[in-house]
Amino acid sequence: MAQNDSMLVIAQDAIALARKKGANEAAAGAYRVRNVEVQWRDGKVEKVSEATTRGLGLELYVEGRYSSVSTSDLRLEAVERFLEDAVALTRKLAADPHRALPDPSLYEGQAKVDLELEDPRYGEVDALRRRKIAEDLEASARSVKGAQAILSVTTAFGDTMAESFRATSNGFVGARRVTDFGMSAQVSVKDPDGRRPEDWDAASARHFTALPSPEEVGRNAAARALSRIGSRKGESALFAMAVENRSAGRLLGFLMGPLAASALQQKRSFLDGKLGQQIASAKLDLADDPLVPRGLGSRLFDSEGIAARRFTVFEKGMLRSYYVDNYYGRKLGMRPTTRGMSNLAWKLGDKGPDALLADMKEGFLVTGFLGGNSNGTTGDFSLGAQGFRVRGGKVAEVIGEMNVSGNHLELWQRLAAVGNDPYPYSASRTPTLVFEGVQFAGM
Amino acid sequence: MSASTLIIGAGGAGEAGASDLVVGGAGGKPQPGGATSSIGYFARFGVTEAMIAEALGAALSRGGDYADVFFQHRVSNDLALEDGAVNRAFASVELGVGVRVVKGDQTGYGYSEDLSLAALRTCAQTAAAIADGPSRGAPQRFHVAARLPQRYPLRVRWEEIRPEQKLPILDAVNARVFAADPRVKKVSVHFRDESGAVLLADSQGRIVEDLQPMTLLYVSCLAEQNGQREQGGYNVAGRAGFEFYAPDRVDRVVREAVARTTILFEAAPPPAGEMPVVLAAGSSGILLHEAIGHGMEADFNRKNVSIYADKIGKPIARPFVNIVDDATNENARGAINVDDEGNEAGRTQLVENGVLATYLHDSISARHYGVAPTGNGRRQGYQFPPMPRMRSTYMLPGPHKKDEIIASVKKGIYCQNFTNGQVNIGAGDFTFYVKNGYLIEDGKLTRPIKDVNIIGNGPKVLEMVDMVSDDLQIDEGGWTCGKDGQSVPVSQGLPTVRVSSMTVGGRGKG
Repeated sequence: MAQNDSMLVIAQDAIALARKKGANEAAAGAYRVRNVEVQWRDGKVEKVSEATTRGLGLELYVEGRYSSVSTSDLRLEAVERFLEDAVALTRKLAADPHRALPDPSLYEGQAKVDLELEDPRYGEVDALRRRKIAEDLEASARSVKGAQAILSVTTAFGDTMAESFRATSNGFVGARRVTDFGMSAQVSVKDPDGRRPEDWDAASARHFTALPSPEEVGRNAAARALSRIGSRKGESALFAMAVENRSAGRLLGFLMGPLAASALQQKRSFLDGKLGQQIASAKLDLADDPLVPRGLGSRLFDSEGIAARRFTVFEKGMLRSYYVDNYYGRKLGMRPTTRGMSNLAWKLGDKGPDALLADMKEGFLVTGFLGGNSNGTTGDFSLGAQGFRVRGGKVAEVIGEMNVSGNHLELWQRLAAVGNDPYPYSASRTPTLVFEGVQFAGM
Repeated sequence: MSASTLIIGAGGAGEAGASDLVVGGAGGKPQPGGATSSIGYFARFGVTEAMIAEALGAALSRGGDYADVFFQHRVSNDLALEDGAVNRAFASVELGVGVRVVKGDQTGYGYSEDLSLAALRTCAQTAAAIADGPSRGAPQRFHVAARLPQRYPLRVRWEEIRPEQKLPILDAVNARVFAADPRVKKVSVHFRDESGAVLLADSQGRIVEDLQPMTLLYVSCLAEQNGQREQGGYNVAGRAGFEFYAPDRVDRVVREAVARTTILFEAAPPPAGEMPVVLAAGSSGILLHEAIGHGMEADFNRKNVSIYADKIGKPIARPFVNIVDDATNENARGAINVDDEGNEAGRTQLVENGVLATYLHDSISARHYGVAPTGNGRRQGYQFPPMPRMRSTYMLPGPHKKDEIIASVKKGIYCQNFTNGQVNIGAGDFTFYVKNGYLIEDGKLTRPIKDVNIIGNGPKVLEMVDMVSDDLQIDEGGWTCGKDGQSVPVSQGLPTVRVSSMTVGGRGKG
């Protein structure tokens, strides 16, 4: 870690300045991010963009009062004035005895591992290379069978180097450098009935060489889009539902959000009071794991500086942990775990999506959710859905304009199977999930 | 991936608001229509006309058809109440510049928080990479665009409103919501205000400046009855000053937050399947935003990917259906005096007597189609190039009456309040989520319904709008539209409308 990085110095100086202006305690975060992106469409560059962006944020504790402030105007005189005003504002708030920096003991015990979050070869990817990838993504999309129905292909490649620094007035100092490489292809096709369905494929990774080939991503995007031609609404009924791994993250997120201590404390969580209870079938078994090398959610410490540790969230369907940050932990009298999800490590099944559909026999394969929402207080949800009907264990007609609904407290009890295929381009790494008896609305 | 989203309230802890940086010093307030160098506001940040000229020169150093430089200073404050006290505040200051070069329909873009000449040059050179020809000169002279409309003039700027003036509103709302119903157990209130200043200078020598306020009051309450918990709320937003919080508005916020929460105890999801859907006047405008608004953004159409790409001039709805996208509604959240490319922003009629009339254009699309820009070129901030976005989208009053519409439905639903929506503009499928509503049975509102997503296909649904009442309402809520990674504030409205059939994502058979 660069002890004398200018952004870390800015963060530390800001703490000193805040205290000079009257704050008793403070935490500061500073970041510097460089992002480069090329977008490509139908044979030529659509957009090129590049920027290095910086910012500074502070949590201020002033005579028992709390505020969180940020600025991108880092001129010294501007920061000074900014902090003066921020401290003055904070004094006008009501005191909150639960607001405090984490106890320093929570900073201790950071794992001493190299998470490999920074690709040492980051600087080798140049403009020509980015452009070639974007071009290849399109060429591959247009190489698939049925490509004459393609109306348009938009592709993109981008990379990011993000450096963040955190310092607190009670002794925490931490820095993190991560690189991120991402590619995507979006394909629109002509349906003879006049519609122009589209689909996409994408990949992202911390290391450039971990990305799949543009050929794979381009072809997938086109194949998926072409498979949407002729989509119809299905009938309203209860059906088994398989959710494709890359779409399952949204559904899972509705179960994970209510695990936040803020939701518990404000009585807005349908998982309140359910620690140790059976929330799902025994198939749901997952842990929060911050120490996965190259993981998209990996970290040695969380956003409050608390040392990152693996912990079980669901064990054979039983709820084992909440996500507890320092503040709401103090309000609830609970020891903090961590504020936000890092990576999820699943106990995977031993079958892939095709075998799971064969077992399912009749139902739907959902390949995308559209809008809809989930009520974190009650667990009710209703989501637009598209995908395919499954008949005799195989993918059959393409389906769209449908809706699935239910309540999470019932839905996850009917989790019948978990696949062996974690989606690699997300922190939640969801595998295919199969549920029994889900309400589909259509005709 | 191109699915565009709309959400209400933007609740939850924010980014941060800011402290009170005073707009002032010599030449503080910009004077539209005045002398060429009326960039007084940004002169405070060391920005001069000479620097802008140099940046544009660097931007056009490899040719290109057009370039612009977009400066932005935005100061936001969020005072929040939880568990009975205003015990947290969030404040943020954003200051930055974006440089864009356009060649045909291709864009180069660079941005920075550093407003020095060196940083401006770097951004400009980054943006110039899109072009590949001989240099074009920078403009020799700048002129301030003709006097802008004033759709959100402030009597007193937010920088001059002290926390002591805002705190009583939060405390009063909290006390009144609790007092309204003993079942209320938790209340949270957010009071947000924002002051924004933008300056755009372009290769045509045009300078445009605007001051852009925004405020939002968001109340969420949690009620408990016999072990059952329900959460609801209400929010209001506008480009307005402190006077926005007149007593009648605050009364309404308290009343609606409680009513929309407690009715949920009596509500159940409706049945699943196709049925007539009646949309209450007001925020049901989300139907338009999703069913047609995004699909009519000109970039999707010039790229040939929207389901509306070949429908201009064609009848797509009954003759009494008229849909507009409007920048002019005074103090509306979706109002703008000028768009983020410096173009005039007025009222654009998307559907005229049932016929699809025009797309929503930014400059690139307008040039592609050979029409005048419609002032829909918006950006989330200096970090982004503009693209076609909506402003305030609504349907004009029609020939029917609300009571007549409800009475016409034998078995269907009445939708009143919404949380969010989304659309795939190619397939045309769109959804919106209904938080509160009623079953309609034999022409009457009967049981309350809740938490149901409605899904339909845009062009099909427009054809099925078969009754439109005369009670147009533009919703006062804090709607935020997302597209391609950029969020912008918008408004929407609708008269009471009947759609003869949509798929209702409920449960069980009716």
